[in-house]
Amino acid sequence: MAQTQTVVSSHAAPGTAWEPRIVAFLCYWCSYTGADSAGTARMKYPPNVDIIRVMCSGRIDPELVTTAFARGADGVMVLGCHIGDCHYIAGNHKTMARMPLLKRMLVDLGIEPDRFVHEWVSAAEGEKFTRLVCEVTERVRALGPLELPRQMREFGFGRGLGSKAWGE
Amino acid sequence: MTTEDSAVLQSQAAASSARIGVFICHCGGNISDVVNVAEVAKVVGTFPGVAYATTTTFLCSDPGQALIEEKVRELGLDRVVVAACSPTLHQTTFRRTVKRAGLNEYMFEHVNVREQVSWVCEDPRGATDKAIRLIRAAVGRTLHLEPLHKRRIPIHPAALVIGGGVAGLVAARDLAERGMKVVLVENRPFLGGRMAQLHTVFPTGENARELLGRVIEEVVANPLVTVLTNAQVINSEGIVGDFRTHIRIDPRGVNERLAYRENAIAACPEETINEFDFGLSRRKAIFMAYPGCWPPMPAIDWHTCTKCGKCVWAAGGKGIELDAQPREILVHSGVIVLATGYDPYEPLYGEYGYGIFPHILTLQQLVRLLDPQGPTGGQLPLPGNSHPRIAFIHCVGARQIEGVQQRQPDGKMKDYCARTCCTGALHAALAIKEQHPGAHIYDFYQDIRTYGRGHETYYERASEQGVVFIRYDPRHPPRVEKNARGDSPLLVKAADLLTSGLEVEVLADVVVLGTGVVPHDISELIGMYRCAVGSDRFLLEVHPKLRPVELAVSGVFLAGSCQGPMDITEASAAASAAASKAAALISQGQVEMDPFIARVNTELCTGCETCLTVCPYDAISRDAALKVAVISEALCTGCGTCSAACPSDAIQQDGFTDRQILSEVEMLLASVGQA
Repeated sequence: MAQTQTVVSSHAAPGTAWEPRIVAFLCYWCSYTGADSAGTARMKYPPNVDIIRVMCSGRIDPELVTTAFARGADGVMVLGCHIGDCHYIAGNHKTMARMPLLKRMLVDLGIEPDRFVHEWVSAAEGEKFTRLVCEVTERVRALGPLELPRQMREFGFGRGLGSKAWGE
Repeated sequence: MTTEDSAVLQSQAAASSARIGVFICHCGGNISDVVNVAEVAKVVGTFPGVAYATTTTFLCSDPGQALIEEKVRELGLDRVVVAACSPTLHQTTFRRTVKRAGLNEYMFEHVNVREQVSWVCEDPRGATDKAIRLIRAAVGRTLHLEPLHKRRIPIHPAALVIGGGVAGLVAARDLAERGMKVVLVENRPFLGGRMAQLHTVFPTGENARELLGRVIEEVVANPLVTVLTNAQVINSEGIVGDFRTHIRIDPRGVNERLAYRENAIAACPEETINEFDFGLSRRKAIFMAYPGCWPPMPAIDWHTCTKCGKCVWAAGGKGIELDAQPREILVHSGVIVLATGYDPYEPLYGEYGYGIFPHILTLQQLVRLLDPQGPTGGQLPLPGNSHPRIAFIHCVGARQIEGVQQRQPDGKMKDYCARTCCTGALHAALAIKEQHPGAHIYDFYQDIRTYGRGHETYYERASEQGVVFIRYDPRHPPRVEKNARGDSPLLVKAADLLTSGLEVEVLADVVVLGTGVVPHDISELIGMYRCAVGSDRFLLEVHPKLRPVELAVSGVFLAGSCQGPMDITEASAAASAAASKAAALISQGQVEMDPFIARVNTELCTGCETCLTVCPYDAISRDAALKVAVISEALCTGCGTCSAACPSDAIQQDGFTDRQILSEVEMLLASVGQA
């Protein structure tokens, strides 16, 4: 446990200004490569978006998104290949079916729709990736902190959303 | 302690035994000029499970890799995290390093702190914090890694080439020259494909069918090649190394014993449109596609034949089998080369007057008419005077613009350049000039794209010989109208950009449409091999520069114009490339595949079959006895879609398990909500 304390203290120094924390799930073949091409072209965007890569956007279980919010993300992005470009034929078709439903569900959970972005970014679209990151960061900054972990603690949900389903 | 995060707790437990080494690369300043790597190493060193953290100038260099190996051995590290460039660049490099160090190559995690941190962050503080977060997430994930092993599949040493045009022939020849067994499948009765319909080829001016004949000779003379004509692929199963393809061979109706083939053909009373001449001539139900074709014997077109038996009688009763039945064979191959080619674009009714006026030809029809072995013996059907007027219109069914051209029946625009028609049209224009030196030729174009080596000379020669070039605005393509006056039957009108938009009217005896190319319809093969297809409907390679002749489906290669418009030179080059990639794969004897496949926990599986409906590869079936899902290791490609869809969390993808991704999420956000 002491080690976890170290992790905490090393990073979120008390008193520093709040910065949006955004988790982005990207498919490896298109969107992750698109993010790389933004880097190769030396485009600049705010450091608030942290990327988690999966092989296909079809792997992104909606529970991963809700868990990210439950663990303290202020915003979540899901980026995949454009329809027709999926490396796995049609994995992104499933993403296309799931994410709009998830977005509606998030509204019911009290999470503003602007905190969740689902978009297609191809391997060549570094510019689009950069634009999305900038837009989302600004939108989430305007909305302010979500603080779902604190809210859930106050409501008595000690362990938060989604933890049970990931069982042993 | 307010945190009761399950994954964090699990990570703590896992961390108690893990010994992770974190190696942070400066990339010679590319990373360290923005990210404070020393601070990152210091902070990372305190994370649970991290036994060692360091930085170095170039981790991918030999000394950099040696450092990883040395530290793994010296400190007994059991997992490695590398924070450097993008994993697309060096993940494989470091997996090998880790393997050399004696660890499982999948006990490794690659963090991208260059393309996604130092190169995109302006603020060093923000960049350093982001690098720390990403490495922390990777450490969280690394704690839950398990050794994985690349899948190894033996490769059956034979190749199946689908398509008997020039690309398929070249691929088959090259494979056989390397000692590989090849089965070449052509669905028409004769080899040669589209190239056989040409007269001479650019830029050498050689005879197309003579060149083709040489390749065909090399292919059929090689005992390693089996050529199947009239053969359709009807079904295919299996994966790289072990494809099993069912092929139906329709009867030819003619065998080697046929001695009087001219008599047999002459005796046939049934005629139909000759597709070889694009409808400009007719042929019999028993026919030869072109002089010198292979196989050198006629075939019977069963759609036209009435089995009247006159050919049997004319042939003296020998060599014709009107009652032959189709047969089916199974071809076992390790690799597949697709060389299914293209079709010329067929203009829509009314497009530039096509179908309305009889004096309109497609470029392909013109080429047939210019061929001395064509339907008119090489003579153009032009008016008797010595100054015929011919207008070419480029980019018909190519480079179309939304709102300007009509959509195709499939709802698409043909918005790509067909690449061969500029040189093809100029090549034909010069051939007309040779035949009719007095001909007036007008060339309506958007851009002249004579891009290949030697192609530009056709443009120069056409200009020298008086071909009049009229450049039209793509948004205002030329109009073809009936000429009310008596001289020539047609009028072509366009605003000429070369004369500042002057409206030009040209009289034409014949209008030639420079028609583009469309992929040959292979929807069944696309479904069978699960090929990726681009928005232009051509087959899509894995990467246009790095893996240009490979499909994403391993073991399937692309040769020629099934991939996009190509001239013969390019199609042959692509076919040779596909053949050498295919041969290299066969020579390996076995193929290695990523181990990120999905697995079913049969205790959790309820047999709901949700996964069966989402799998893009039909890799999942349901075990009727156990009532659970079963995933075929061989067919699974590791997208993980089933894992996300499983309502019981019974499916986990190796390398991307729920716990691995979840701990990545939680460690990424660990400082949030705890402050």
